[in-house]
Formats: sequence, structure tokens, C-alpha cells
Amino acid sequence: MIKIEDLRTAVADALKYVERQKDVIDAEVFASWNDLITIRLNYTSDIPCNGIHEPKSIQSYGLGILATFKKGNRIETGFGSVTNDLTKEGVLEALSKAKRNRVYDPGFKTLPGLVGKPVLANYHDKRVMSISGKDAVGLGWKALDGALKTLRDGGHQKTIIIGGDVTIQRERMAIKTTKGIDDFDETTSLTANITAMIENKNVKGTGWNMGTRLASFKPEVAGREAAESAMKTIGGRKIRSGKYNVIFGNQPLTDIVSNILIPSLDLSSVYASNTPFLGKLGQGIASSNLNIYDDGSIEGEIGSKKITCEGIPTGRTDLITNGMLTGFLANNYYAQKFRNNLYCPMPRSGFRYSTNGRDYRDKSGIYPTNVVIEGSRETARGSLLKEVSNGVYIGRIWYTYAINGLAMGDFTSTIIADSFLIKDGKIASPLKPNTIRINTNIKHILNNIIGITKKKRSTLVWGSREVVIAPEIAVSNVQLDNVTGFLG
Amino acid sequence: MKPRIEILDKLKGHIFKTVSTHYKSLNDCKYVDVRLGISEFKSATSENGQSKDVTDDYDASFGIRVIAGEMSSWGFYGQSLGKNDLKVKEITNLIINGINTAYERAIANAKKKQEFKKSADSLTEVKLAKIKVCQDTVPSDFEIDPRKVSLKKVLKTSMDVSWQMKELDPSVHYTAAGIKTGITRELFCSSEGANIDQSLPLTQGVVYVSAQKGESSPEVCYDYVGDMRGWEIIEGKNCYNLSFLDFALERTRETIELSGAEFLKTSKDEVVVVTDPHFNTLLVHEIVGHPTESDRILKMETAYAGRSWLFKNMDENQIGKRIASPLVNAFSDPTSMGYGYYKYDAEGTLAKRIDVIKNGILRTFLNGRENAAVLGHEPNGSMRATMSSMVPIVRMTNTAFGPGKKNPKNIIKEVKDGYYIVSHRIPSISESRENFRISAKKVYKIENGKLVKLYRGGGIMANSKEFLMSVDAVGNDFEMYPIPTCGKGQPMQVMRVGNGGPTLRGKARLAGC
Repeated sequence: MIKIEDLRTAVADALKYVERQKDVIDAEVFASWNDLITIRLNYTSDIPCNGIHEPKSIQSYGLGILATFKKGNRIETGFGSVTNDLTKEGVLEALSKAKRNRVYDPGFKTLPGLVGKPVLANYHDKRVMSISGKDAVGLGWKALDGALKTLRDGGHQKTIIIGGDVTIQRERMAIKTTKGIDDFDETTSLTANITAMIENKNVKGTGWNMGTRLASFKPEVAGREAAESAMKTIGGRKIRSGKYNVIFGNQPLTDIVSNILIPSLDLSSVYASNTPFLGKLGQGIASSNLNIYDDGSIEGEIGSKKITCEGIPTGRTDLITNGMLTGFLANNYYAQKFRNNLYCPMPRSGFRYSTNGRDYRDKSGIYPTNVVIEGSRETARGSLLKEVSNGVYIGRIWYTYAINGLAMGDFTSTIIADSFLIKDGKIASPLKPNTIRINTNIKHILNNIIGITKKKRSTLVWGSREVVIAPEIAVSNVQLDNVTGFLG
Repeated sequence: MKPRIEILDKLKGHIFKTVSTHYKSLNDCKYVDVRLGISEFKSATSENGQSKDVTDDYDASFGIRVIAGEMSSWGFYGQSLGKNDLKVKEITNLIINGINTAYERAIANAKKKQEFKKSADSLTEVKLAKIKVCQDTVPSDFEIDPRKVSLKKVLKTSMDVSWQMKELDPSVHYTAAGIKTGITRELFCSSEGANIDQSLPLTQGVVYVSAQKGESSPEVCYDYVGDMRGWEIIEGKNCYNLSFLDFALERTRETIELSGAEFLKTSKDEVVVVTDPHFNTLLVHEIVGHPTESDRILKMETAYAGRSWLFKNMDENQIGKRIASPLVNAFSDPTSMGYGYYKYDAEGTLAKRIDVIKNGILRTFLNGRENAAVLGHEPNGSMRATMSSMVPIVRMTNTAFGPGKKNPKNIIKEVKDGYYIVSHRIPSISESRENFRISAKKVYKIENGKLVKLYRGGGIMANSKEFLMSVDAVGNDFEMYPIPTCGKGQPMQVMRVGNGGPTLRGKARLAGC
């Protein structure tokens, strides 16, 4: 494990050296240490299994230099990095790579300057930073125990599947630039995402728990929730294909937002003409009830950071306000590229995420942090059900893809768990999992919102880094198509 | 000086010895394996003819698996490596520390498993099916050494490609071209005595183009060319038999043509569809490849990538049963060229071709040693990891529909009223892969055996078994294409696999906008 002081010293020493190079105009030195621990669950009551299949981790540290060089009248940019080396030799190697890798990119304007002060400070958990292998493994077994006991108490012992993971993320980074940025960040996060199935009842339930501190992290609660949710949906019914009023629960809303909406609200997608919202800035793209923003400075949320990987303090970026498109996510590169007299994007989304954290080997891309979805007029769940009256409550979807590309806005997904029919304004019988495919368009979803709940839940879906602070949203006339169930 | 892959010549003997000796010093340690990989690569990307990014670098990492404890359990540790780590003393210490960390996790896990066993009798010791323990060196095979191609040439090619794409028509808004070429060398040493040194080159070109006509939505295309070979891929020795430039221009012309096409409407009922080899590449990937991976079969992916429509339980499953028309065959073959090529998998198992579907009957699953032991099957060497620092999981190799005997032109000619589905785009599959919706780049209306109209924004949807059973013609035009972005695992591993097939004719619903 590398200390934050070592990373800070390394970036300071490196910048001193880089600044002395005659051909260097500006430079950004970024150093990080990352560790991702994953405790993967696999319990199958009728197939030999390990319970906890594999406690594992991937660790890395190193330093990356992004520099601008003068070549005639042009400015060239180059990036180089070194792994497991914070010494002067490492800096020399990274700089030599940056020089070798330099190109003239007319889209690059300048490195970011100092902007404002961070909201968050010292928000990581030292206990997580020093967690032992034994304790990490124990968290996985707690999650499994929560699910197993709940299922047993409910009388279910056979054809049980419990899967998912407990994931512990530990990150440290420091950055120093010739533009005056000199800062550091330490983050810890813990997530438990658990799925429980009773296969002979053809039901699946989902549960999750997350936080930034070990003391408040309860993986067993995620296990219990998954099991309870599975048991609630026993006896599911199929429905006919057609258009339905639906309520998207926290998970499906997060899945749609993470896979369809947020990638469409990113300036790199605008530049590549790969968004259904091209040319729509300042125009209405959604129901006036809808507000969406990204905010990486919310204390206690696992998507939060003190600063971006470009050294910019995190904060709020409004994306949709009262149904109007008000902004896009940006890193420094795209913020500079799109800046004009009418639109001045703040680069609050420049992160260097890779598999195991804030990666010194990469330049900054565009990543959301905590995506908050709110209604201008929010309601209670009971009122939302009444407004829908008859329809479908969708609790978990899977494989949500922009089937004809993001620019078209069409997407499809299947309903796999936690779902019910709504009758006379109340949750009625469960919906049989794996029997319905959603075929719709993101523009339809945004423009046909019936209502939004006040109560929200921080939610994370597989393969995404961002947290969505998701309410439940009711939408009218969503196309649902009947498909076969498991093994017919 | 950056480290070269040849640095492993000096280290491999020490790594093998370290694994053998340190393993013996640990109590109750049943198994250890170490994979240590180093890759050298060059890459470049450009947009609209302008340079964007170049890299000439190396990447190294190792991953360690340990089985230990009274009730044998897994522990794993992986980390990245820098230049200074690739020295005998340093790497020896790092591997010993890594084994110790993985061992500590395995022991902690085994103790907990023992405790839980009292109330959960399916918990069991980890067992690995037996394989022939191999010691071998596999050199990389290419015509043009990726390491001898200059960074300047890689960048110039990328810029030229994206510039020519952009210049093709005013309707083209944006183009990007990326190239990556390099060699990865990986050692595999195990406490059973395996000592495998395998090198694989990889060269890949990717293009992105968006074009828009009038007020209609932009048409976007994203496609790859690549193989486990050298720079000759970029020059035209690839599955398309086109240079990267010609491949890129062909994709751009298609995108321009499509941007002015009418959108396809969803059909109410099934129609006759002829699907081309490029479309069937993604189809076989989603409805045959993934559901025959044994980790899905054993329900291990229930929380992530899903289960399989081929296996309900040990007694009720589709092995030996008809799941497709007798005309349908499917195989998985890591010994043939394609993105799933290798000689040994990530557990040191010798790769071999397997028949997955033979004349419509399901024959077997893709597996690794642990799953093979649970299922009572012979290991078939289908375990891979994206990087050495990640845990190997069951992966498709070169998994494809087998060729038939019919001329594809005749397959279309025989259709009175139907649709020709050309080139895959994006898939969405149900949880056990029993139903799919896959979009195509192009859909043509077929009338009286002729292609009469082009549509955009379309594809097909069907129940997997119903579609496979409906196949009434299989072409002799077999092709294998690269799929470079197959996501699976937690944390997500993005893997390259080869998929393909010939032209097929069956029945499905049209899925439009």
C-alpha cells in the first residue's frame, strides 16, 4: 500500500523536474494507488459450490505525465506513465514516453486551471484502508448468511441460487500541475449487490447495500433484501404484449439512466454526433417535472470524490432542468473544445477510471459520479400507484442496450425480477420473470412521465461506476412484448 | 529503454522454481498457479484526419490463484508490474508476497466454508479435473512484426483512414480510426509442474463514422477488423480481405447510404429472414456461445451475465437433445485463426476444437477445470482472462455456426417474400439467452428472390430455440469475424473472441424503430 504522502511528494518532485525541461510548456502530473477487492458469492443448493467462490483483488500504483510541448508554432501534447515507480528514474521514463507519444491535436486547448475549493475533505474510512483479507472474506459470508437464513425462515431450502459480490474499493491520488493545481484525494467505498433465486418457483430477488464506511456497511441486509424480494414474487403471471403504464423502480431507472441516458448527455457523444439530443441544448427534451444532475460532492455517496482526476473540485452539473436540456458532462478537453460565448461547460467529470480505480495509466475521460434524479413535483409511492391505476411495476431489468445506436434513442431490455402487476392503484400479483421485453425509446420515456416519487435510493448496476440516486418513475404507454420464459 | 517481451527469457526459470518451492512451504496448500504477462504495443487514434493520440508502451502484470485450507477454497491476488519489478530478485519477492496474500484469503475462506457446511450441504471442496500437465514454448506467428512497425506509420495510417472517410461525402459528420498492434507474452507456471510460455500477436483497426442527411437521425457505424497476427492485418490479410483503408471506406459508404434510407417497421408476426455471416457472428455469440459457457450452466453468473436456456438442473437439461434444425452445427475452436486463438488456455489446458451442436443436437459446454469436475466432463480449455492480473473465467474461443452446402445466392433466390438481414450491430438478450433482439446495420426487403429495398434501424427478435429450429437453409459461405468487446465477470473483463458462421435462413419477427 502506498501512502498519500508518498504520492504527493512524487507529483511535487516530478513537476519540479518536468518544469525545468526547455521544450515543456505545461504539465500535469498524476499519481495514484488503487486496490479493488471483490468477494464473489456463488451458492447453489443443488449443485456443488463454494459459497464464496473467489476472494480476489487487483492492485496497482504509478505516475502519469500529460505535457504540452512547443514545436514551431504548434503545441503538441503527449502522455506517458510508469508503474510501481515513483522515483526520479520513473519520472524520467514517464516524461520520455510523453515526448515519444506527443502529437498535434487541434482539439486540445490548454490544461485546466485552478477553480474553486473542494466541498469534501477527509471523507474516507481508515478502517477500510487497512481491512484484512480475513475480514474482507467475512463480509462476503455475511451477505450469503443474510440471504440463506431469510430463505430458510421462509421455508425454502432447495433450488436456491445466491450470487453477487461484496466489493471494496480503495483509492489514493495526488495531482500537481503547472497551472497551479496541487491537491490529493483518498476514497473508500463498499458495495454489496446480491441476487437470490428460488429456481423451482422461477423467482429472483435483488438486494443491495453500499456506503463509504465499514461501520455502517451491512452486507447481510443486502442478502436479506434479495431473499425477501424473491419470495414476494412467487406465483408470477405472464401478460400480453401491448402498451402499458409502468412504474420503473430504482434499479430499472438506474439501468436506463446508466446505459442510455447518461452516455447521451456527454460532450464526447455530442462531438461524435452519437446522441439523440444533438442541437437540443436549451430546448425541452423531457416532461417539465423532470430534473437530472450529476453531483460528485455529496457526502456519504460512493460516487463522490473531493476532486476530479484533473484536479477540479467536484460539484453539481445540471443536465435536465424542468424538462429542458441544460448541460452535458465534460472533462477539460471537451469543455475547452465546446466553450463559446453562450455555453461554458464546467469540466467536473474528468476521471481516469479503469478496472480497479483512478488509473495513472490513462488520460481523463468523461465519467458521471452521483446522478441525481428529481421531480419538480414529487409524490409518494402510493399516490404514484393510484395515478398509474392499472399497469406494471418493473423492479429489475437486464441487458439494456441502445439497440439502434445512441443517436436513435431506441432501447430494449428484459424484465428479470422484482416486478408486479398494478391493479386499481395497488400492487397486485407478481409478474413472471423473463417473460417480457421492453421495446421503447428514451425520448418516449422522458416525455411521458406520469409522476416521480420523493423517496430515492442510491443504486448501482453491473458494469457501471456511477451511482444513480433514483426515485421511482411512472411512464405512460411503454411497449412491452411477451417472450418465452426459462426453458419455455 | 522499455522492457521487451524477451525479458521473460531471464525470468521464467526463476518464476517456475519460486512457484514450486514456495507452494511446498505452505500448510494445507493444494494448488498454486501464476500467470505473468508482458505486452508491447503501439496504438494511434485520429478524428476527421487529425491526430488525437499515440502510444508506444508496454504493460505487465501477474495473477495468482491458490487453493488451500482443510476444505479447499480459492484465493486470488493480482497486480500490475513496472520495469523495476522485472528483475529476478524483485519478481521473486513479489510472487512470494502475492502467493501469501492469495493463500491467506483461501485459508480464511476455507474456514468459513467449513463453518457454513453444517447448514449448507452443497458447499464442497474445490476440485480441478485432471489435465495433461504441459511444458511448452509457443512463439508468436505473424508476417509483419508489430514491433518493427514505426509509431509514425501507425499514426499516419490512422490519420489517412479517418481523413479519407471524412472526405467521402458532405453528409459525413465525424470519423475516427484507431489502430493497435503488438505482442503479448504470458508465462503459466503451476504447482503441478506446468511451465508454458505463450506469445500471441494482436493487430486491430477500429472505425467510427456518423453521417446525417437532412433532419433525420444521424446514422452511426462502429466496426472492427483484426486478428491474432501482425501488421499484415492492416494491409489486407484479414477476414474481409480488405486493407484497413478499404474496410473503413466500405463502412463509410454503407453509413452514407443508410443515412438516407427509410426506417424499418416492427412486424406483427414472424417473417422469413435470411441472415448473413456477419449478422450470424453476433447471433451465435449470444444464443449459442454464451449459453454454452459452463459457469452460466452451473448458475455462477446468475447475478451478472445470467443463466442458460440449455440447463435447468443436472437432470433436466438439453445435452443430447435437439435444440436446432438438423441443418445447424456449431463449434468452438481455439486452434483455428480468429480472436479466440491460442494453444493453451489460462489454466494450461491444451486447446482443442469441440462440437457444441452437431446436426441440431446439443453436445457439450465450454469449460474450465473446476466446472469440468463438477459436471463430470473432460476439460476443454476455455478459460481466459483479459489481463494476467485478472481471474480466468470461461470464455468463448472461436465459436461459430458450421458451414452448410448451399450457395447463399440461392438461399435468397428461393425467398418469395422476406428480409435479408445484413451485418450485426447491437444485441439485447434475455436472462437465460432464450430470447433475443439483435439489430442489423442493413435490412433489405426480398421480393421474388430479389433485394428490392434497403431499410435502416432494424433487426430481428425471436425465441432462441424457435429460431434455431426454423433454420431451413445453411450457406457454404463460412466467415469468422472478430468480436473485441465481450463483457463478462465481476469486475467486468472485456475479452476478444472470434465468432462467425455462414448465411442462414429462418423465421423471426422484424424489430424496427
